[in-house]
Amino acid sequence: MIALPLGILMFGALGSALLDGTRRRNGWLAAVILLAAIIATTWLGWDVYHHGTREMAVGGWDQGVGITLRVDMVGIIFAVLCQVVLLGSLIYEVVSDVGARIFPSLVLFLAVGLTGLTFTGDAFNFYVFFEISMMASYILVNYGETPRQFRAAFVFITVNLLGSVLFLIGIAGIYHTTGFLDMVRIREQMPLVQENPAILTATIIFVAFCVKLGLFPFHFWLPTVYTGTRPAVAAMLSGALANIGTYGLIRFGIDIFPRELEAASMVLIVLGSASIVYGGVQALSRHAPAEVLAYSAIGQVGYIMIALAFAGPAGLAAVILYSVLNSINKAVLFLSISLRGWVATTALAIGAFSVAGIPPVGGFFGKFVMFDLAVQNESLVLVALIFIGSLLSIVYMFQMYRRRIATPELEEDVIDGWGVQAVSLVLALSLVGIGIYPEPMLNLIQVAAESVPKGFTP
Amino acid sequence: MTLVFSLAIAALFAVGAFLMLRRDLIRLIAGMIMIGNAANLFIMASALRRGRAAVLPGNGDEMADPLVQALVLTAIVISFATAAMALVIVYRVYTSHYSMDLTELSAAEEEQSERDEPESGDLVEQDIEEDIEEMPDDAKVGVLA
Amino acid sequence: MPTRDSLQLTGGMLQMGARVLLVPGFIIAIAIMLKGYADIGDGFSAGVIAALVVIVQGLAFGAEELERIAVARLAPLLGFIGLGLAYALAFVPVLFGYPILTHFPRMNEHAEHFGPLEFITPVLFDVAVFLVVYGFCVGAMMAVSRAEVRHQRLIRRARQRAGSRGGDAV
Repeated sequence: MIALPLGILMFGALGSALLDGTRRRNGWLAAVILLAAIIATTWLGWDVYHHGTREMAVGGWDQGVGITLRVDMVGIIFAVLCQVVLLGSLIYEVVSDVGARIFPSLVLFLAVGLTGLTFTGDAFNFYVFFEISMMASYILVNYGETPRQFRAAFVFITVNLLGSVLFLIGIAGIYHTTGFLDMVRIREQMPLVQENPAILTATIIFVAFCVKLGLFPFHFWLPTVYTGTRPAVAAMLSGALANIGTYGLIRFGIDIFPRELEAASMVLIVLGSASIVYGGVQALSRHAPAEVLAYSAIGQVGYIMIALAFAGPAGLAAVILYSVLNSINKAVLFLSISLRGWVATTALAIGAFSVAGIPPVGGFFGKFVMFDLAVQNESLVLVALIFIGSLLSIVYMFQMYRRRIATPELEEDVIDGWGVQAVSLVLALSLVGIGIYPEPMLNLIQVAAESVPKGFTP
Repeated sequence: MTLVFSLAIAALFAVGAFLMLRRDLIRLIAGMIMIGNAANLFIMASALRRGRAAVLPGNGDEMADPLVQALVLTAIVISFATAAMALVIVYRVYTSHYSMDLTELSAAEEEQSERDEPESGDLVEQDIEEDIEEMPDDAKVGVLA
Repeated sequence: MPTRDSLQLTGGMLQMGARVLLVPGFIIAIAIMLKGYADIGDGFSAGVIAALVVIVQGLAFGAEELERIAVARLAPLLGFIGLGLAYALAFVPVLFGYPILTHFPRMNEHAEHFGPLEFITPVLFDVAVFLVVYGFCVGAMMAVSRAEVRHQRLIRRARQRAGSRGGDAV
């Protein structure tokens, strides 16, 4: 059963690589495959929800000898989240005509990588799936084939390759210090490891994931890439691929390095605050909408980092909730930003409200949870910071929206097809749905947060 | 032995980092490959045991840690695929700009955005893409082996 | 910048060497793959060796030669077949209730063998890896060389059109 979503996606990716993806029919076929994978993952999620973590040792080897696939609630949430964002972006691109034969197949390979990564219980296997998804996205960034995209692709590849190499070095470090690659065994062994090697390894892995996330000091690649690529690809990168960073920090940070994470909580708070302020101020000063969104993404990551610093049960739930909302926000915004027409504008408005955290929309809960966390920890500075961050995001989102509304006629007054607009609106409406009826979502996240073993409570 | 390993890794990493800071795209890729190999060597160095090859160990011989060798093989496949892909992208950049220098490329990009002329599109072939997409799988199969 | 024509590699020595190596190269590759179960060797290195042998043909005789060799022309297809085979080996056991990637016959069970070659599914998996690696290497190389040929043709045509003025247009 664990293998089902992966199997669907792998065979689907292979099959659609053989077909001509520029034909609309084949694009839809890929979308159906992705949808099937989502259903399979959800079914698996139902099982995990009722019966707890599922495990499967690859090749019928004993536990601890073979590579383990291990699925828990956190993995399911992130897998479904990535797949949904990918599906939205894929349909968006199919409706507005795919420009390259292999585009649908690449999206499916990206889904293979992201799903596998959330399903694996083995540190090195994590790296492999991570590289599969990175490889697919390296090519996706080129999609569109203008000089700008080539340059964006180059920046992206260079920086992320460095990130991957760092991660690889970190895994080698983990293996050498603990003697295991299975995450559960690493977790058991980690407290016995001496402090210095553990801190070094943890730092390397932290930097590797922050590069993927685009946290403040590692953010420099992000604006170039997000503004250089097509909207659908930007949505995939920021909505799905960036989740690797969050998920990796949860898996490796909270699961494997709880001691080091606790020691570094001050660093996380400082970096997160810097990210929030920097992203917000930069977003305010930019004019191109895509650039505003890119810097906004940098700012939003800061909240995740701060929540991670308080990674008790409440903190973990906040991390998951915030990254789910953030991914959908970013997907909606990137998809609707370049469209004309009232439907897309509505989607844009919803997305903007969500980033700003205005009540009827889902993003409000993200901000609310963050406030709650800050108040619980009785940190006045943090409350002030989150307040400032929210204020900044309200202002820049408003500015962007106003600019968009003020100059629709200057561009050609072509209204884009209904299909494309509908995709962005459906995603946006899911945000409203979460905002109006959040209980199932919050409940799921609560269960997920409790399923991760607590190394410590701050 | 550890000292030799660390010196070699440090040298590779330094050379790679130096090359990555050049403005020439080919050197940049060479730098990436160097750094990738530094990581591979690091994995080898992280072996828990050293000794004879893990295939068919003789009686009583100390056997080398086979796991790191499997890991490093996978990592080599992945870095190989990534390097090949980066080279193909450089090739495309070259066919559309006739330059591999980052300074010239950004100048060309500015010109491009001013004129906004989609001239490079027709030179870029689909076939390349068709083949690139095999890379993720390549890396994947390497691991399962 | 030197023109492409001055970079010809098609020397007599290289051509002869390439031809002589073609068949032995493949045999060595296949031997390395098959003996991997009793000795050192595996599908990945075998695939790389086979791909190198074919690519040397391209270097020695030019890109057109590659189009003539069937194993080179079909390389991408072989790669896909290999990938499909690998996926099938991974997922078919799941259909029968075994964990993913289970190999048959299971450990400690008797396996038929023919010399050093054992009839077990890991050999098939290695064949799949061989095909993927080979298909990818040769396929990528051929795609680039095709693109280059097409590119040169475009340039030549552009030059002709531009007449004497466009001689150094690049």
